[in-house]
Amino acid sequence: MEPGALDGLRVLDLADQRGALCGRLLADMGADVIKVEPPGGDPARRIGPFLDDEPHLDRSLFFWFYNLNKRSVTLDYRRDAGLELLLRMAGSADVIIESFKPGTLEELGAGWEKLHRLNPALILCSITPFGQYGPYRDYAADDTVLTALSGMLYTCGYPKEAPVRPWGLQAYHCAAYYAAIALIGALFARERDGTGQRVDVSIQEANAAGIEHVAGNFFGARVIPGRYGSMHWARGFRVGKCKDGWILHCLAGDWTTLIEWVKADGKAEDLVDPKWGERPYQRANVEHVFDVLDKWVADYRADELLARAQELRLPYGVAQWPDKLLEDEHLAARGYFTDVEHPELQRTFRYPGAPYLFGRTPWRVYRRPPLLGEHTAEVLGTDLGLGAQELATLKYEEVI
Amino acid sequence: MADRPLAGVRVLDFTWVLAGPVATRILAALGAEVIKIERKFEGFLLTTVQTGITNDLNRDKLSISINMQKPEGIALAHRLAKISDIVIDNFSARVMRQWQMDYESLVKIKPDIVCVSMSGFGHTGPHTHYVSFGPTLQALTGYTLMMADKEGRPAGFSYSYSDSAGGFTGALAAMLALWNRRRTGKGQFVDFAQFEGLISLIGPALLDIAINGRKPQPPKWRSQEGPAAPHGVYRCQAEASDDDRWVAISVRSADEWERFVKAIGTPAWAFEPRFRTLYSRMSNHEELDGLISKWTADKSCDQVMGILQRAGVAAGIVANAQDSCERDPHMRERGYFPQVAMPDGSTMQLSGMPFKLSATPPAVRNGAHEVGSDADYVLGELLGLSSTEREEMARAGVIWL
Repeated sequence: MEPGALDGLRVLDLADQRGALCGRLLADMGADVIKVEPPGGDPARRIGPFLDDEPHLDRSLFFWFYNLNKRSVTLDYRRDAGLELLLRMAGSADVIIESFKPGTLEELGAGWEKLHRLNPALILCSITPFGQYGPYRDYAADDTVLTALSGMLYTCGYPKEAPVRPWGLQAYHCAAYYAAIALIGALFARERDGTGQRVDVSIQEANAAGIEHVAGNFFGARVIPGRYGSMHWARGFRVGKCKDGWILHCLAGDWTTLIEWVKADGKAEDLVDPKWGERPYQRANVEHVFDVLDKWVADYRADELLARAQELRLPYGVAQWPDKLLEDEHLAARGYFTDVEHPELQRTFRYPGAPYLFGRTPWRVYRRPPLLGEHTAEVLGTDLGLGAQELATLKYEEVI
Repeated sequence: MADRPLAGVRVLDFTWVLAGPVATRILAALGAEVIKIERKFEGFLLTTVQTGITNDLNRDKLSISINMQKPEGIALAHRLAKISDIVIDNFSARVMRQWQMDYESLVKIKPDIVCVSMSGFGHTGPHTHYVSFGPTLQALTGYTLMMADKEGRPAGFSYSYSDSAGGFTGALAAMLALWNRRRTGKGQFVDFAQFEGLISLIGPALLDIAINGRKPQPPKWRSQEGPAAPHGVYRCQAEASDDDRWVAISVRSADEWERFVKAIGTPAWAFEPRFRTLYSRMSNHEELDGLISKWTADKSCDQVMGILQRAGVAAGIVANAQDSCERDPHMRERGYFPQVAMPDGSTMQLSGMPFKLSATPPAVRNGAHEVGSDADYVLGELLGLSSTEREEMARAGVIWL
């Protein structure tokens, strides 16, 4: 098998949960990503859920998800001896990913100017709530607050009610993908003159970029999209209850095909009137369409309905619980879920797998998420050339 | 200014609707030359969509219109593929095969071509031919049910997050494949199923289900990033006739709680045993949320955010379109919504790129081009077709000018 798409890329990952997925995306494609953790470990190791609900720094599933395929070094970079090691590692790295409060690297003695002098080819990628400048720069925020300030939260939920929080830390996730894109861009630019640059990712903006309709509606038509319950803002989709669960109605397929089917089931009511086939009329009165269709699907089993709809090329879907994904035959056939061995636990666990299948340089599991400091000796010894004596001293001084 | 990162990269863009165009607008902002192949009468889904969204999606792309139902149209597309670095689409698997624009066909014409397919379900597996849109995938992956309101009614996203997410995932796949090609000289095919991309964004909750066997339950306002209380949205004072004003607040450490209590005026209730520890605040969060809502009710959301942020507490207004696009002083200073030039000479604001590159910044410059309006450059300059030849092709229904 060929090496990964990012084979040979050396990344130092100083980020906490705000930026950890970025390094993971690179590591999955073959980059050597070294997670540099403070002595107590990455704060993400203290965030649950935990394996078998037992809190432990090496059992956080939260940490596992964001740190698969990385190596871990513990280093007290707030002390001189630790900082020196960090700078030595930076000397031979291609990329540093960090998510500290803006200004922290400078305070530590590892600011951009210094890093750039030390290693002109280095790319420094900062992933922070609001980026490196601007009036909110020093504001406090977690993923929840960022989904609020990005505009994502406002659009989720039922009208007049409190907004519904998105599932998953989507502000962080958007930022991680955009950061990875940006820093590969910086790699391209570096090819020309060998010089690295700073990448400044604002999580707020990345999350805003994860909303398809808000900016276009506002700038194009001064429209402020609201919350519509389970209905899509363009009014073509809504959730309905069927015999054994929930389905997703879809009016984006062929209307005649849909109505003939509903009619054959004797449930079309007034929707047989051709006026309902006219899009402006249909969309203006779409609640009625969905109400009729809700009565129609009530007697169907979700899987029956889905199979028939897809046969007719109607993009209906089942609204299902996520545990169903584990038994999904399509995902199974494509090998989506991946078994990862954790030898120290003598267990193997199923992880979500590749977001994309590369024909020649595939996404891969190289190693399970690292135990705290698991690779400290390996990285400092083999890679930086520190002797056993020196490592022992650093350990005694609690630098590593 | 230095060339942008993807200067010199040419993208043949067969994408449509949303996810694909989001991916190629990222490549365009990074400096790639994106040639969008469109049907003259796209109609269909985007008829309901305002020009604002079309411009937001398709800015800075060249547009030509080719009739792919004709063999001559396919031949023309093959000539373009030969001078392109990457071909990208978001059709279901069969479409590009029908047009002989799939990787197997193109690699014979251009051995180092990169093909990125952004279909709903991928090119293999029993559901490869399923038709889907963003909301379909959100329903299947669990987001729709997991995002339930207080009463347990499923809400999900009111838009196709799947398309926005598919866009950045597709763009990353394209960047990775292009980078590897730069290093090795070899192209490849990327089969990106948006269904799988969306599952990959669920995060640790899916590990909890897969590994701990957790039964999925909508988290509602339970924090997904470690324990927090207060954690949620709180209604603020109405502004003009708008009573849909909220602020989001997250408090975690004891230190943050102390600062929060002080910031809201040190009310006596904050010192009651039921709110003393994080655990007790979480256990009694309904009462806590009620008391905080009383405090926020007579203040504007901006005011609440200001008071709490000055105390170092994570708080933010639940921004609507106007808040983000017009009022947010921070995004404005960072220029997140740039003014761009429209083909008719007017200007318009669009969303920008959420990252800065200090030496080679991304750029968003022009609104969407009219369908087919770049035939002179693409077919004339790049392919060397004379205007007579182009007119003949138009008469024969191979292209639309």
